[in-house]
Amino acid sequence: MMTAAMPSGAPRRELFAEAFANLYGQGIRSILALLGITVGTASIIAMLNIGNMAQLEALKSFKSMGIDMLQIRAAQTGTGAAGFDRRLVDTLPADDPDVLTAVPLSIGRGQVTAGGVTADVATIAISPAFATLAELPLRTGRPIGEADDCGLVAMVGDGAATKLSAPGARLLPDAKIAIGDYGYTVIGILAPVPNESMNPTDYNDSVFVPFGCSRRIMQSGDPNMALIRLRPDVDSAAVGERVKARLANASSTLTVIDARGLVKAMKAQMGVYTRLLAAIGAVSLLVGGIGVMNVMLMSVMERRREIGLRAAIGATPRDLQLMFLVEAAALALVGGLAGVGLGVGASWFMARAMGWGFAVALYVLPLGTGVAGLVGMVFGIYPAITASRLDPIEALRAE
Amino acid sequence: MLQLTNVGKAYGPPTQPVPVLKDVSFSISRGTFCALVGPSGSGKSTLLNIVGLLDKPDAGQVVLDGVAVDYGSAQQAARLRNAMLGFVFQSFQLLPRLSAWQNVALPLLYRGIPRDRRRAAAIAMLERVGLAERSHHRPTELSGGQRQRVALARALIGEPSLILADEPTGSLDSVTAIEVMELLRHLNRSLNVTILMVTHDRDLAAQCDRQIEFLDGRIVSDRLSLAAATPMSA
Repeated sequence: MMTAAMPSGAPRRELFAEAFANLYGQGIRSILALLGITVGTASIIAMLNIGNMAQLEALKSFKSMGIDMLQIRAAQTGTGAAGFDRRLVDTLPADDPDVLTAVPLSIGRGQVTAGGVTADVATIAISPAFATLAELPLRTGRPIGEADDCGLVAMVGDGAATKLSAPGARLLPDAKIAIGDYGYTVIGILAPVPNESMNPTDYNDSVFVPFGCSRRIMQSGDPNMALIRLRPDVDSAAVGERVKARLANASSTLTVIDARGLVKAMKAQMGVYTRLLAAIGAVSLLVGGIGVMNVMLMSVMERRREIGLRAAIGATPRDLQLMFLVEAAALALVGGLAGVGLGVGASWFMARAMGWGFAVALYVLPLGTGVAGLVGMVFGIYPAITASRLDPIEALRAE
Repeated sequence: MLQLTNVGKAYGPPTQPVPVLKDVSFSISRGTFCALVGPSGSGKSTLLNIVGLLDKPDAGQVVLDGVAVDYGSAQQAARLRNAMLGFVFQSFQLLPRLSAWQNVALPLLYRGIPRDRRRAAAIAMLERVGLAERSHHRPTELSGGQRQRVALARALIGEPSLILADEPTGSLDSVTAIEVMELLRHLNRSLNVTILMVTHDRDLAAQCDRQIEFLDGRIVSDRLSLAAATPMSA
């Protein structure tokens, strides 16, 4: 009889096959342990992915104008109309090297009538530069141009056009509308636009008129708002303070809205939520891990005879450890994969419910399965060691 | 091929040890079918466990195939069991989840032998014990005698030098017990494998080449059987 070659351990590939067969053999118990890991992984995946989608969604609201933007608003403090000097706005790019463009606006609200239909909409007085800055999409007609500076022409937002249309007859260019005491001619109708964070008001619900002679329908001829495009990567808060100081006057309080600052605040808030939710997921994963340990310990106790037999026919303590460790890892891995599926599914439902665009942050997939597998290994160590330390004689005598 | 020198073993607390084996020495040559007999508590099962490297002696030395056994390393002991020993138990100890051939092939798993070769070897071994057509049945689908034959095939598949059988017919009816005993005898002769069998059945023991009788941890008699006068030497 030959004993020359010391036997090596069991083939690794077969360990996995056997682990799955054992888990399958344990039926409902394996499924329950799996469930713990699945729920834990699913919550982590869903939370991270929902956080990611929320962030993408938040950034989307800065898409058309970018985040190098400031918005200055004037609010009334005294008896005079709120606002600031238009010339100060116009000279900003020349005087401040960090300012690329500065566009004055005047925003009001009032009754607009078209062909017997009256609606309450926002009125915005704009310069031609504004249309370029805000990338307003026209559905029909033409935009307000340089030649219209003091003209009685108007551009109508999509929603406002619907409000001002008589039943069965949509408002079209060349229609006459009345704003205050003045009659305007519609020259363009806008396509629907998303209401982004830096929009001073919802453009869909607005009627645009040329800034030049806007005193006709506004409280004053001065702008009460300005949109400022900054050079990329400048200290937007500092520029905001400089612009605010420059435009300051006695009759108004000025507020600066800084796109970069808004994004930062949103991200910070989102980060807090994401971490909080991921922590909840981690706790459920921990509970899942304890479930795995429980099932594996039960399994070791129930399979004492098998362990004893395997030891008798030549399984080394390491072989036995590996057997149970692989089972725990396989359990956790399957649970983790199911959890990833469930988590992605949950975030899809969330995206649908919130009306967001669905996206999967790819890094969460290996992270989820990896963490689940790791949890299985960690919580599988103790049962595996227990198995390898059983006395084979006692184990063979069990039951 | 097996040599025990002054083997002693005691259980219980070190302050009040209960001796189970006292100064046991004997040796067995290759190919011998040897019975260990004696009442329960006489130490025969403990001796089998010590020879099977499942238990450690407190004193003395065990030499297997010319090599003194080192009981210190569980890893080494496991590998020696796999390479040199085959076990047959009273309660068969088959894994219910596995088919007959998978049970038989199990020892080869721990040698890292690939599945196809394990399967071929297992089926060949099942043929030897007359169960080739049952190779895909689970243990629950087999009779007691068939189960023990599967267990025998498992003990033999690793080509061990020594088979350790603990009451191999203890769970079988008398007719089946005779069949299994005949098979053991046949395998012992055809493969020239050494067998150490614990039994309390004197009729079975009488069929062996040699009977060693234990009482209170000591050998009280050691004789060659009349029924097996033909010595099988290697």
